[in-house]
Amino acid sequence: MKRFLRARIASWARRRQGADSLPVTVHYRRIYILPTRAGCGFGVLLFCMFIAGLNYSNSTALFLTFWLMGFVLVGLHRCHRNLLGIALQHATALPTFAGAAGQLELTLGNSAALTRLRIEADLPGMPASATDIAATSAARVSLAVPTTVRGRLLIDGLRLTTALPFGLFRAWTWVYLPLEIIVYPRARGSLPLPAVAGMNHGARIRGGAGGDEWLGLRAFRDGDSPRQVAWKAYARGAPLLVKEYCSASAPERFFDFERLPGLDTEKRLEQLSAWIVDADNRGERYALTLPGSKLPLDRGPQHRHLCLRALALFGLGPARHASAR
Amino acid sequence: MPAHAELSGWSPTLWTTAAFAAGALLQVDRIPLWATAVLIACAAWQLSVAARKLPAFPKLAQLILTFVLVACVVITFHTVNGLAAGTVLLVVMGSIKLVESRSRRDRYIVIAAALFLLLAACLDRQGLARVPLYLGEVALCCTALAVTAYGDAGLDFRVAGKLAGRSLLLAVPLALVLFLFFPRLPGGFWALPANDEARTGLGESMSPGSISQLTASYDPAFRVRFLGAIPPARERYWRGPVLHAFDGYTWRRGAAEAYHAQRLRFLGEPYRYTVTLVGDDNRWWFALDTVADASDKHVFFSYDYDLIAREPATRPTSYDAVSYTRTESSDTLSSYARQLETALPADRNPRTRQLAASLRARAATDSEFVRAVVDFLRAGGFQYSLTPPKLDPDSVDDFLFHTREGFCGHFASAFVALVRAGGVPARVVTGYQGGEWNPIGGYFVIRQSDAHAWAEVWIDGRGWRRMDPTAIVAPERLSRGILDLLPDAVSRGTRLLHGTPFLAHLLQGWDALNAAWNERIVKFDVNSQLGILARFGLQSNDWMALVAALGGGLVGWLAWIAWHIGRSAGARPPDRLGRAYARLCRKLARAGVARDASEGPLAYAAKIARCRPDLAVRAQPLLARYAHLRYGSISGAAATSAIAGFERRVFRWHVARRS
Repeated sequence: MKRFLRARIASWARRRQGADSLPVTVHYRRIYILPTRAGCGFGVLLFCMFIAGLNYSNSTALFLTFWLMGFVLVGLHRCHRNLLGIALQHATALPTFAGAAGQLELTLGNSAALTRLRIEADLPGMPASATDIAATSAARVSLAVPTTVRGRLLIDGLRLTTALPFGLFRAWTWVYLPLEIIVYPRARGSLPLPAVAGMNHGARIRGGAGGDEWLGLRAFRDGDSPRQVAWKAYARGAPLLVKEYCSASAPERFFDFERLPGLDTEKRLEQLSAWIVDADNRGERYALTLPGSKLPLDRGPQHRHLCLRALALFGLGPARHASAR
Repeated sequence: MPAHAELSGWSPTLWTTAAFAAGALLQVDRIPLWATAVLIACAAWQLSVAARKLPAFPKLAQLILTFVLVACVVITFHTVNGLAAGTVLLVVMGSIKLVESRSRRDRYIVIAAALFLLLAACLDRQGLARVPLYLGEVALCCTALAVTAYGDAGLDFRVAGKLAGRSLLLAVPLALVLFLFFPRLPGGFWALPANDEARTGLGESMSPGSISQLTASYDPAFRVRFLGAIPPARERYWRGPVLHAFDGYTWRRGAAEAYHAQRLRFLGEPYRYTVTLVGDDNRWWFALDTVADASDKHVFFSYDYDLIAREPATRPTSYDAVSYTRTESSDTLSSYARQLETALPADRNPRTRQLAASLRARAATDSEFVRAVVDFLRAGGFQYSLTPPKLDPDSVDDFLFHTREGFCGHFASAFVALVRAGGVPARVVTGYQGGEWNPIGGYFVIRQSDAHAWAEVWIDGRGWRRMDPTAIVAPERLSRGILDLLPDAVSRGTRLLHGTPFLAHLLQGWDALNAAWNERIVKFDVNSQLGILARFGLQSNDWMALVAALGGGLVGWLAWIAWHIGRSAGARPPDRLGRAYARLCRKLARAGVARDASEGPLAYAAKIARCRPDLAVRAQPLLARYAHLRYGSISGAAATSAIAGFERRVFRWHVARRS
């Protein structure tokens, strides 16, 4: 019942607000506020105090009650204010493999001269993550989005919430951004890599610093040599990255959807996904052929993403809502 | 402590514990020692748990403790109702809740209990001296709320304290509006539970020594403000319970309505005044000698001209009265009344009877007999003393013929017994005498130490005459305070405070403040509310005006608070330089070249030079100037005047709008 009600209210707000585009500044008209359970309890407490004060005609008790009533109302406005004017500046959805958690990175900006306390961000039905935002600065929140199937995961309803400063009221706002997470097919399959189809300029072996051709940067994995780490980038605040080089030539492989007989479509896509990850790890060049589309021989993170994206979206029509699951 | 500060849950635990403990300690003198011990133990345990020094309190032990402690409350008070028992129950249950609180929800409940304890303290005592304590507790509870709401990490207490303090300050206007204009009930919804405290002040009986016990207290009993003439000290008899029945040792009030009151003729000047009782649960409304008029529906006149309230005054109560200090009555006393007012226990105080008989035999009239009794007291070598020896059950005999040393109660008792033994109707009147003038507040304060007892004697054709046997023995009692007369009557501390002129002056100021607090705030009621409206020229019985004032105040405050709080959520307002720069940008935008958010002043100037060379001639130096003022090394007075110059240049430049 509660869930149903919440969904109805959310969809009403969706119709009322329409879709958003970045940056989204939280305006008066889109903040909703209700007392929390503690707030309701506080209300009952104040009512009892009020009755007692009135019955005893006790001025001190009545003043205390009225004062606390004022305090609660000030708390209401402060809670509202805690959310008001926050700007959702960036929202980045990083692609992920099905079954793993996708990451939604939000940048929340605060242009006011006051600290925003514990702004929580969540997707419907998922745990929230909270952050404080110092005066005239910004803070990042990252939300984990669990995925199950490949494709385009559309995140529509994003919610920013706060119950601070006194926890008596909860103010929230819905942000309807057309955000999508590309969910690659699970990298899973038992077939070995197809045989090397040829060598471009001789064999290319992926290697560390020994190679001569710059390949790119990839995330640090256990076992990588410290000499390969991009320390300069790390010093600038980037995550730990490893510089990859390869020798002048590398093996070439052709991955073809049609050449995987005996498997259904999803299994084929998973197998292809696994091969692409494998080939990319080896620093090889590869091409992908899908019915109706073809990605030519290439390598590098961009190529990897394009191939995996093609697999993810293969045969899919319109996107699905994250909240529809 | 700093090590604890790192621990999750330490800060919210500390603050909720502090708020609750402070709430309970407000009532520390009202709750039994064991309840305080439970509170301290629970608070200490909870803090140790939060500091990872002790394991969590076991669930079963909690359950057992709850039962045991509730049983203790029931055994101590025989009830769980009423303010005193309720407070102790709240302290005990709150302590147990405190020791099991782990989640945010638990902590909220503990804070709610702390606020309820504060309410109980307010209901119990609302003296001015308590106000700072209550204010502190409110602030502490609200701070604990802010710390707790942040989660287990706990908001930094300085931030939380500032948040709570500012919120409370912003709430004060609303509290005032509601306090002034929210309609009060003339009475309660249901009967108030009587205070279980043994009350101080005059009772409905008097035995030797009962009044001198009272004089040890220097607490005010009531305050009186005269409108117009002020009676001299020897006329300031504040009449209280009149006692009719004597058992040889103790005087009691006797039957409730024994006989009809006599019609009185008032002589001399009327005195008009307002009495404010401190509200010590007495039903007696003290008034100057004989009251001619006290128009108040909460009080009735008894047959012996006492004012008796329908409800005990549990809180400060005021009433207006008109009194005369001299009266006459030509009525006759009915035989029943005469019998009642001359009754003495037949088998007690035989020597007193003998003495009365011999005095009576020599006197021709009642008046002469009474005069003879007065002469006997005056010549009898009696001593006025606060600490007279204990008396036998035949107290009057013992006093008159043996100890000859006594306080006002002894003299009044012996005098009335003597007069009655001579067949003349007489009665004992208890009350207060004198009072201290407070020049700061312009009123008299009558203290418990002013408690007094005197007599009234019936003389045919003249009515009840007031006679003060104490004044016969110690005439100075009427002109000087108890402090002067019997320094030992009060404690050394009180003596020092009230005997030192400077300190006494300070105390009078404090008393005047207290009186104002009691009159203006504590006894604020419907009449005060209507009085405020009347002061603004509104109909004093117009309830609509009250509702309008309430609604107007409420709406006004809400609008103000929404504006006040909401405005700080906007972007930080720019400084002078920023405002001037924004103005410049607006002008240029109107002329057709808007600045992109990503453009700095110099990039903007370059863009203008590219697309609007006509504007660039003036825009470029201005933008360069801005960049210099903002980012260059210029500071102090030079910067201020340079910024002012920049402002002027921006202001004077009229950029033509793009047609």
